[in-house]
Formats: sequence, structure tokens, C-alpha cells
Amino acid sequence: MIDFELNTQQRMLKEALHDMGKSVIRPQSLGWDRKKTIDPDFLRNFYMMSQALRGENNPMEDFNEGPKNRDPSKPVQTNRTAAVGAEELAWADASIMLSLPGPGLGGPPVRATGTPEQKERFFSIFRDMSTELRWGAYGLTEPGAGSDVGAIRTSCKKDGDAYILNGRKCYITMGGRASWVVIFATVDPALGRAGHRAFVVEKGTPGFFVGKIEEKMGLRANETAELVLEDCRVPAANLLGGEEKYQSKEGFMTAMKTFDSTRPLVAAMACGIGRAAYEYARDFVKDNYVLGRPIPRYSAIAERLARTGRQLEAARMLTWKAVWMADQHMPNAKEASMSKALAGQAAINACIEAIEICGAHGSLSEDHALLEKWFRDIKVYDIFEGTGQIQRIVISKRLLTDLKAF
Amino acid sequence: MISFEPTEDQKLIAGTVSDFAKATLAPRAREFEKAQAIAEDARKAVHEMGLSLAAVPEALGGQGLGLLTAVMINEELAYGDPAAPFGLPGFGSYLIAVQELGSEEQAKELLAPFADPSAHDTFGAVAWSEKKPNRERAGFVTTAKKAGGGWELTGAKAFVGNADLAKSLIVFAQVDAAAGWNGIGAFVVRKDNPGLRIAGRHKTLGLDCGHFGEIVLESAKVSDTDRLDGRGDFAAACTRFFAKYSLIVAARQVGLARLAFDVSREYCDIRKAFGKPIGHFQAIAFTLADRHMDADSARELTRRAAWAWDSGKEPAQCLLYTAQAVAHAHQVAMRCADDAVQLHGGAGFMRDVIVEKLMRDAKQMALAGATAEQMDQLAAAVELGIPLDPALVLPTPETQAVLT
Repeated sequence: MIDFELNTQQRMLKEALHDMGKSVIRPQSLGWDRKKTIDPDFLRNFYMMSQALRGENNPMEDFNEGPKNRDPSKPVQTNRTAAVGAEELAWADASIMLSLPGPGLGGPPVRATGTPEQKERFFSIFRDMSTELRWGAYGLTEPGAGSDVGAIRTSCKKDGDAYILNGRKCYITMGGRASWVVIFATVDPALGRAGHRAFVVEKGTPGFFVGKIEEKMGLRANETAELVLEDCRVPAANLLGGEEKYQSKEGFMTAMKTFDSTRPLVAAMACGIGRAAYEYARDFVKDNYVLGRPIPRYSAIAERLARTGRQLEAARMLTWKAVWMADQHMPNAKEASMSKALAGQAAINACIEAIEICGAHGSLSEDHALLEKWFRDIKVYDIFEGTGQIQRIVISKRLLTDLKAF
Repeated sequence: MISFEPTEDQKLIAGTVSDFAKATLAPRAREFEKAQAIAEDARKAVHEMGLSLAAVPEALGGQGLGLLTAVMINEELAYGDPAAPFGLPGFGSYLIAVQELGSEEQAKELLAPFADPSAHDTFGAVAWSEKKPNRERAGFVTTAKKAGGGWELTGAKAFVGNADLAKSLIVFAQVDAAAGWNGIGAFVVRKDNPGLRIAGRHKTLGLDCGHFGEIVLESAKVSDTDRLDGRGDFAAACTRFFAKYSLIVAARQVGLARLAFDVSREYCDIRKAFGKPIGHFQAIAFTLADRHMDADSARELTRRAAWAWDSGKEPAQCLLYTAQAVAHAHQVAMRCADDAVQLHGGAGFMRDVIVEKLMRDAKQMALAGATAEQMDQLAAAVELGIPLDPALVLPTPETQAVLT
């Protein structure tokens, strides 16, 4: 039956995150942005609390590690719950979601490709973080290979029971503090995607360094790092899935599989930030404009507000559809890309319009600083995890016959 | 629980309508357009599917399948020929007006003819718009005056769908001149009323098979029982009528958008330029991707709005979801149809291909029921907590004329 009602768990999660977002997170959000880090005590408390709240039924754990003891043919709620939570948390602050302890984007490839031994080894460090917070990360992008991930040059050479990795990775979320990073490398660039290998490289491995920490337009509280591999010797046991996984272009598929499940979450986060800006502008209009009087400017403002609001709703529909499909175990690569492409666009537009609607107030970083911050935060949502253009490539390849490449 | 899966019944009904629309309506769309009417055999065939009263509650003699099912039916009909639902009896504004504005007794009586075996000829119409706004005061030029035990209607109405075919019309008129848009009323006027004159048919940009026309009321007498009072709150009932009718129109826009998209996609697969299918160029492929997102999101928004009505959500919530769905669907359909012509190049401009008709139909349809502009004002009013003043939220002749 077609239904748009959240289930009890989702509603409780949404309400809890909303309340905390309003009273605890938002008041700190600007400070974190300026200090370029989320207060570690807050992060620990938030993490411990969310663990306690979720108890046995931890959607993020499911999301990162995959469901345990669950019949894979049965529908789950995990992706829908994660989308609802992601939107609400991003509504409060965009950086938190990306800074949460846990495997992060590194989770999906380990879950999808890792051997049982690897999953246990790499995920077990996140089970108890009561004394120390830990992160995983995902290292694909290079200075010379962004959207064109097939062009990565980081090399790996077999040497006895290890691989020697050389290269640079950039724009790695939480890369500086990650306990391990899934690094994509190639045995031979001439082989294209078939030459790709995914390794879990652990912090402290000799030859594995953190380069510069980036200064960014937005999401400044979230760490973005450069990683350097210089004759870095990685045990063969850390090659995700083992050698036999890579007889075909499976290595590349590992990289891409990550995105089918994470793109709708990025879309959900974008919806959350866009909604924050939209609601801010709406409330500003309520408080500052003389709605009772028929000023011509008012209907123009009303139309802008309404258009902004409905574009976000349209994006949320595609987002929910993509996660609903994931929960039914239906292939959703196209829908995942559609949700992200539309949400990125709608949310950027919402942030731009919100400033416009508030007039000069909106651009001041004193009185309406959150608005100014959201405007800076949102842009990257149409860039990371596949630019809007890449999403349209993914989508159109699934619309047109025999379209392999442009 | 968030779900996008229709029920088995809905799948069956939508599937049946879809098959019918593709097999019967689509191949004859040009024929209907040229004849400016849906042929009798096609109307009979639609009527035999027995779907006219699908969304009408069982208490009023319908099937009680809800607005969501009606939205699906209208989307599929429109996928065959987007103009067709406007020329078919039983799917239009009249049924919704009767349900929202009439008492249970009135609704039962006025809806009953649509279940009749010969109802393929039973049209109803809603006469709302007027050609010009009233410059003297707020409200309609057309008036309803107490006369004897009933009412006497005088004035003219325009942009009335199926005006010349209707056996019964819901006519809106000014009851209380001093009360502006809060002083309007609705009356049932039957075809045989000596005071009713069909004044002619509009020549339209699109939706050619819909009979849009004008009517003139010359001291047309109706009884007091022919007044529909909106069950107490007339303004709220009018707002609901326009919301639900516009949602049905939005569902047709979704059908049109999907059709325009599918026709374009197929064309981009086979049409070659510079040695490869034009779809293999990014400028074309990305356009298709954008229109696909448009059509898909519009569809889910219309379904969510219908779901809200069916599950008895707060009126404000239902109106907001509806306004968002309608405004989005109108803009989406126009973009999809425009791009469909554009992607076909010169061929798209020729009447051999259906896309030029879709573009005309999309623009015409954007003016049926409340427009995107009006719906945006409604959504903003709900969101800003402004009282839903009928002058603000109804598509009055003072704002933007609409077809009903």
C-alpha cells in the first residue's frame, strides 16, 4: 500500500534528533564551523547517547556492517530509517553526519566486498568506542582523478605477502583521523577498471601519511584530508575480498557499489539543509513582512517560498523512493542518482532563495549567520559522491539503449 | 510505513486502464482532436470499465476506492491521450464539485445518473469563471437573487468544460453582493432550464476534445433544494473542490509528462546524427535525465497528496501537499512537453508526431483547475499561517482565469 507515514521508530528518531538539533546542536553549530572541528566531547556524548537510544536496533550499524542474522530476501527498514535520521541531523548541522564516529564511507565497500575475516577485523574496532572514538574513511579521489575514477594512478605492486602502494589521495572525509582507509589503487593503469584493487590501509602503516587538511567553502567543521602513500607496504590480507575477487572489473564495482546505498543518504542530508534554510526564510517572512497588507512584493515572496518548498518535497520523494527500493533489495542505481541530482539542485536553490527572501539580513554573518553557513555548506552536495553531471550520466545510461559511454 | 507499492487492486485497475488507454485512446488521439470530441464508441468503452465513480464514497453510491486510485486512473488515461479525460463523462470537475459542495442527499441524487448503463452520454459541468472581473465590487458578476421559493440566476460564465454537453451544471453566482468572495453560492442548473443558454464554444490552444464553452443565464430559475451550501462552510468546501479537482488534473499532467518523456526517449534512441543516436550526446541525454526526474517526482507528489486526503490528514496538510503536487506537476508537464518537441527538432513541430499536441495540451491543462501560481499562493498561505481567505486562495476571475 502506498504510504508516506514514518513508522514508530523513524518518528521517534526524527523527533529526538529534531529536539536535540534545535536545543543542543544548532547553538554550537557556528562555533564548530569557526573552530573547524566538532567539539570531541559533544561527539562522544552524541555517539554514546545514540547507541543507548538505538539499543539492539541500530540502523546505522546495520547500514555500515549490513544486517546480522537477517533473511536477505525480506524487506528491511534500514535505509528508510537512515534517510529520515540523516535529513534531521543535517537540518541541525551539516557537518555532524559526516563526522560521526564509525566506518563512514569506508563501511559499504568493506561490507560489500570484504571477507568474513576482514569484516570482523575492520568493523570490530567500532563496537566499543566508550573510551576512544574511531573512524574509517574512503580514499578514491586523486588530484588527477575525480569524477573519472577510472583514471586513478595510485599504484599497487605485489611483493611477497604484501602490496607496495604509491600515490596521493585527496578530499578524504575524516582522512586525517581515520583508523583505516579503503584505498583504491591500480596494478596497471592500462587495464582501466579491471586493474583496480581496494585495500584497507591502517593508520600508522609505514609510508602512509596525512598531507594537508583542506580549507573549504563550507562543511568547515568536517575534516577533509590529503593522504600520501610512499612505498607503503600493505599486507595482502588487507586486499578487500582477496585476490580472486579481482578477476574482472570487480574492483571498480566495489567503488561504485558504495554509492548506490550512500547517494540517497547524501540526498537526504541535502534535503535537511535545504529545509533548514527554507524554514528559516519562512519564519523570517512571518516575523518581518506585513502580510496583512496587499503589497505586491508579498505575492512574489510567497511564490518563491512555495516554489522552494515544493522543490524540496519533490526531492524528498525521490530520496524516499530510492531508499525504499534499497530496503526491498531492488536495484536502485538509477533512482539513487536521481535522488541525489534533484536534492542537490533543490537544496542549493533553497539556500540561495532563502538569502534572497531575507534580503540584506540574509547575507550578514552576525544576525543570520546560520543562513550564511548553510549557503556555504550546501554547494558541495552537488559535487561529492558524484557531481550532478555524473548522476545524469548514471541516469541516462539507464534510460537509453546501448549507451555505454559518451 | 513509507512505501511506494500500490495495492494489488490499484495495480489491477491502473493496469487495465493503462492497457485500454494505450490500445484505444492513444491511436485515436488525433481523431478525437480533429472531431473535437471523443467518439461515442470510445466513451462507451470507457464507461463499461465502470470507473467513473471509483473515488466516490460508497455512502454516495460510489466504489469508495479513494482519491489515490482516481489519481492513478487519470494518470493512465492521460498517458494514452492527455486530452481525453476532459472529453469523457464522469471524470471531470462536476463529480468532485457535487461531492464537496452538496449535502449527502444532493450528492447521491446528482451522482446516480453517472452509474446508469447509458451514462456514456451523461456529462456534467462546473461554471465558475467569468470573462472579466467585477469592477464594482469583489465577487462574481453573475448573481443569484431570491425569487419566490427559489433563486433566479443572471449573468454569464466562461471556460466551462463540456458546457454544451452537460445535462446538469453547477453554477457559481453572487448571493450576497456585500460579502465579496465570502458571499458566493453554487446552484444546480439543468439543461432544460429555459433561462440557460449555451453561448458558444471556445476555440482553444489544446485539449481540443474537451468542450470548453460559455453559458448565459437569463433569469434562470432554480429551486432552493438546488442550492449547494458546502455543508456549512462554503469557502472551505470551494477550496477543497479546487484542490481535489486540480489534483486530478495534476495526475493527468503526470500522464502527459511520462508520455512526452517516453516518446522522446524512444526517438533519441533511433534518431541518428553525426553517426550515432542523438541520445548518445550528453546535451540530449542529460535533458532526458532531468525530465525523467521531473516526471517521477511529480508522480510521487500527486500520490502523496491523494494519500493525505484518503488517510484523513488535517485539512491544512492536505491542502499543502496538494498545492505542492499541482504546481510541480504543471511545471513539470510543460517542461517535458517542451523538451519533447525540442528533442524531435523540426519533426516535433509537425503534426505527424504527437509531441506538438502534448505541448499544446500541457499549456492548456495548466489552466484547468487552480494554476501553479494560485497553488503556490495557497501553499505559502498554509505555510505562513495566513487565514485561507477565499479571495486569496480561490482561482477567482480577479486573479487568473481558469477552466473548470
